[in-house]
Amino acid sequence: MTNLDLILLILMVVAAVWAVMARSLLKAAIGLAIVSIVITIFMFEFSSPLAAVFELSVCSGLITVIFLSTIGLTRPLSHKELLALARDRGRRYGFLPLLVIACGAVLAFLLLKMPLDLEVAKNTIVAGAREVLWNARHLDLFGQIMILLAGVFGAVLLFRENSTDEW
Amino acid sequence: MPSLLILVPLVGILVLNFLFKFVVRRAAFWFALALFATQVIITFLHAPFFYAGNADRFNPFFKVVFNIDGISFVALLCIEIVCLASLVVARYTLHDLSQRFNFTNLLLISSIGMNGLVLTSDIFSLYVFLEVAAVSSFIMIAFRRGKRSLEGAFKYIILSAVATVLMLAAIAILLLACSDTSFAAIRQGIGQSPESNIILFSVGMFISGLFIKAGLVPFHAWLPDAYSAAPDAVSVLLAGIVTKACGVYTLIRLVVSVFGFRPGLSQVILLLGAVSVLVGALAALGQNDFKRMLAYSSISQIGYIVLGLGSGTALGLAGAVFHFFNHAIFKSLLFVNAAAVAEEAHTTDMDKIGGLSSRMPVTGSTSVIGFLSAAGIPPLAGFWSKLVIIIALWKAGDIAYAVIAVLASILTLSYLLSMQRRVFFGRLKQGLEDTREVGPGFSFISVLLALIIIACGLLFPMVFNAIYAPIKQILIQ
Amino acid sequence: MTDTTLLLPVIMPFAAALLVLFVPKTIRMVREGMVLGASLMNLVLAAAFFKTNASISLPWLGFGFDLALRFYHFGNFIVLASAVFILLTALYCSVFLYGKSYSKQFYFYFLLSVGLTNGAVLADNLLLVLFFWEAMLLPLFGMIAIGNRQAYKTATKAFIIVGATDLCFMAGIILSGSLAATFTISRINLPPSGLGALAFLFLMVGIISKAGAMPFHSWIPDAAIDAPLPFMAFFPASLEKLLGIYFLARISLDMFKVNGDSWVSLLLMVVGALTILLAVAMALIQTDYKRLLSYHAISQVGYMILGIGTLVPAGIIGGLFHMLNHTVYKSCLFFSAGSLERQAGTTALEKLGGLAGRMPVTFACFLVAALSISGVPPFNGFFSKELVYEGALQRGWVFYLAALLGSFLTAVSFLKLGHAAFLGRTRDNNRLTAESPFSMLIPMVVLALVCITFGVFNFIPLRYFIQPVVGFGGPHQGVPSGMFLGGFTVAVLALALLNHVLGVKSGGSALKATDHIHYAPALKGIYEKAEKGYLDPYNIGWRAAGVLSAVSWRLDRAVDWFYDSFCVKAASGASAMIRRMHSGNYSVYIGWSLAASAAVITFLLKIHG
Repeated sequence: MTNLDLILLILMVVAAVWAVMARSLLKAAIGLAIVSIVITIFMFEFSSPLAAVFELSVCSGLITVIFLSTIGLTRPLSHKELLALARDRGRRYGFLPLLVIACGAVLAFLLLKMPLDLEVAKNTIVAGAREVLWNARHLDLFGQIMILLAGVFGAVLLFRENSTDEW
Repeated sequence: MPSLLILVPLVGILVLNFLFKFVVRRAAFWFALALFATQVIITFLHAPFFYAGNADRFNPFFKVVFNIDGISFVALLCIEIVCLASLVVARYTLHDLSQRFNFTNLLLISSIGMNGLVLTSDIFSLYVFLEVAAVSSFIMIAFRRGKRSLEGAFKYIILSAVATVLMLAAIAILLLACSDTSFAAIRQGIGQSPESNIILFSVGMFISGLFIKAGLVPFHAWLPDAYSAAPDAVSVLLAGIVTKACGVYTLIRLVVSVFGFRPGLSQVILLLGAVSVLVGALAALGQNDFKRMLAYSSISQIGYIVLGLGSGTALGLAGAVFHFFNHAIFKSLLFVNAAAVAEEAHTTDMDKIGGLSSRMPVTGSTSVIGFLSAAGIPPLAGFWSKLVIIIALWKAGDIAYAVIAVLASILTLSYLLSMQRRVFFGRLKQGLEDTREVGPGFSFISVLLALIIIACGLLFPMVFNAIYAPIKQILIQ
Repeated sequence: MTDTTLLLPVIMPFAAALLVLFVPKTIRMVREGMVLGASLMNLVLAAAFFKTNASISLPWLGFGFDLALRFYHFGNFIVLASAVFILLTALYCSVFLYGKSYSKQFYFYFLLSVGLTNGAVLADNLLLVLFFWEAMLLPLFGMIAIGNRQAYKTATKAFIIVGATDLCFMAGIILSGSLAATFTISRINLPPSGLGALAFLFLMVGIISKAGAMPFHSWIPDAAIDAPLPFMAFFPASLEKLLGIYFLARISLDMFKVNGDSWVSLLLMVVGALTILLAVAMALIQTDYKRLLSYHAISQVGYMILGIGTLVPAGIIGGLFHMLNHTVYKSCLFFSAGSLERQAGTTALEKLGGLAGRMPVTFACFLVAALSISGVPPFNGFFSKELVYEGALQRGWVFYLAALLGSFLTAVSFLKLGHAAFLGRTRDNNRLTAESPFSMLIPMVVLALVCITFGVFNFIPLRYFIQPVVGFGGPHQGVPSGMFLGGFTVAVLALALLNHVLGVKSGGSALKATDHIHYAPALKGIYEKAEKGYLDPYNIGWRAAGVLSAVSWRLDRAVDWFYDSFCVKAASGASAMIRRMHSGNYSVYIGWSLAASAAVITFLLKIHG
């Protein structure tokens, strides 16, 4: 683990916390995009350029664009509302940084005291990750179609004018 | 063909949307009813395979091995029965025809998801079908679009997302460590390096995700809101089977077939089970809302199932599976009754209703059977499964847990008794004079469920043997 | 003889008992006929098996609990003796109970107790004995409870006393079974020391309570008044004596290695002597025919216990012989009481008198039995008592004197009883009294004849029944070894007659013949208290229980508070706390889940690390 990695990891955590805590949705969306970008960098580093490209184009690119355009359609909050929201958010999520720090401390303590042996019996993926993840996945494909189908029905049900079709 | 269990609903969805939607929309209910009845029959058709010991059925369509053993059989049966009950409840409680039509579709998708996760023997497929069931549940909870419904659904989504992250991360690690995602490969990989920290780490993460799905204390916080905010028909489905199939069945399946009973895991499961039993029962004691009380009661009952699993013996596991079945039946029954009360009295606040037994005799009396079974009163089915679990705990040397289980059953009795007294017994409250039974289908389904409870209680030796013998074989393997 | 037929003496009465329940009420004589038939069959079976020496053991419940029966001379003899009394009682009942509302229940319990008695005597497994022994509580309770209005209370009293001592019996059985490592009676032989002593004590308490000795006697006089009369003749007077003394002999002679010097012998003799004296002293002042007899039923047990307790051949033979004799004459006496109750309508002595002329057969039978119980030669009671005296004298003159004094008081009280009931002036309400029906007289006459036969030809029971049982005998032919003792007995009896004559003269009537003893300066107060039940161990027990219950009440309040207030408050408090924790805040919920996940993962890593 290089120093650059460390900086990037810290950057990612900060961006994630910012995304949750930010006052405006805009900033939150940008925070999310930063997280995505950092992940992309890691993926490049772990020599999986295909996944990195997807991550960059879809998560940090496409999704951010959709978010930003949607936010553009909304009415911004008044200053007073914004303040109230911030206070409320501070009250509700104020403990979050503390929690992150505490978890980190506990983990660090545990690791120092009992270094994790991350070795496993060396199992190279015989058929190759690609084979396992994509080629033998008929059932999962079917499942994903089902999720999409459920999403369609959800959209129909949740984003549709009330019908008066009583029986 | 086990794959029929997921193909039949799919064909059903297609037929519904391309035929019934435009031709005979009103007949959609009967069509769906027939579909679920078919699934019950298919489930029963598969029972002989596994009794004959020939569990593996290679399915050419999906190019995977579907595995139906004793535990899956019970789970499949519960799924079909509860879906049937939910469908009937929806017919009477969802008045908007198109809403009901879409609900039927979602119900079918949900059943595909649950059937799939029960049938599969691959940890990633398991995750996918878990998501199918979860996504359809989110939508079903929310589709009334009330504030409470949306809030309940949102809590469910958020905590499910946490569970998803945990499980996905665990799956990734297991894939790397074991080179495949099938149960057999992971079991082998874990067997090769049982003390490896990274594997333990992933097992812990996966188990934690399942705890969230199962709603064990302290992972349970989404559950009461989701159950009580959902439409009545959805409450029946959620409480009856969805959380159990997604959380408890998967937990049992993974511990039995993949992770194996290891001391640390058993202790975690026992502890969480005992905490759930106690906290769920205590919380239920203080509720004023009928459905919310039943939701907390579900947490407590799921704790019993998990306690049985944690004992790590064939007897305890058989008790857990039997309680799984019993809980699916009696909790569905109680939620069906709650739906009837909500439909007629227009509230589920127990302070505002009372004496409904005089106006709704079938609902009142079947509710008595349901709550007696839940409280573990002989000779109803719930008594036997709890007894088996407690005996198994005692035999396994977890005497403290056995004592907790016994004490909590007193709490169970007390809150369910107070529920029954406040809702059904006593004098009829003002304004409820014109309540009546909701409809013949409603009465039919509650009487059917009550009869299942009584029959399983009276025929306990036969029913239990049918569960116990195969489970012993599964554990020997 | 095949194995299964050996089970018949136990099974047949049960089957008959169940059958009786289903006999329709309308054809009444069928029921009586059936009971008689069953009793007769029981007698036939007992006679058929009398010479059998066999064992049968069927595996039953497991855990060393086998259905093991053993036929050998001692048990067979007891079964035969009880079968005779059962048949006579059945004959008597067929008239006495005719038309009584409770007759069906009575017959059911009657046959039930027949089966239980046979089972208890023949069982060769201590646990099986316990089963039959404890089950006797059911007919005991039932037969008393169907009596008059007070009967239920008395039945409860009997149930509590006998039940409590049965618990001792159970403890004794379990203790001795575990000490001997077997529950098979014929294989147990324990020394009465250490834990064995405790086992013996427990067994002894249960047994002498069954036999009706002091201090477990106090339900018998009450039952005499309240319960149906055949019950008295049949249960405390014969069945329970046979059963109790049989087991006393078994534990003292077989199951425990008891010798004459041990404390066991002394304890038994003291219990026996005290029972004789105290019970007969109470009998002395009774003014009711049945109640007086019931105290004698207690007192006579003392002779048997004393006899067996001496552990010398003469005493043991005397004790067993006395058991046999007592069942004969006491049943006869109770049957005569039943005759009076049925014909004269009462058993209160002040309402009876001069019945000798009106009920000559009853009087004759009474006379024979009374002479027997008082120990007048040549009736059977004389010979068995002489043997007990001889045994007692060998162990210590104190016991001999106590027995002799008991004999004196017995004679005095029977002189009073016979004089008051049958002789003297005829009361107005007795003028129309007639003799009892034939089938009630038969049992009495048979028993009276047996009294004479066993007296004059005392070698018959001794040689054919008693001596084979104990396995020794030699010179003891019923006649005391020295005429010296017989002389004393006769002298004492003469004294009793003299006392009676004086008593009648000073009291003015036969009823008041014992008043000079009753109201003697030192005894008056004791008698008063005894009559009021202050000295009844059962009542003392209740008073102690009262104190205990006051303490328990306080404890109960505390426990009640614990359940009613503390538990409810704790539960509702916990419930409210849990409800407050569910604030509806997502982030808190997520926090719980994540923290718990971290804990789970850490725990898993730790436990393997």
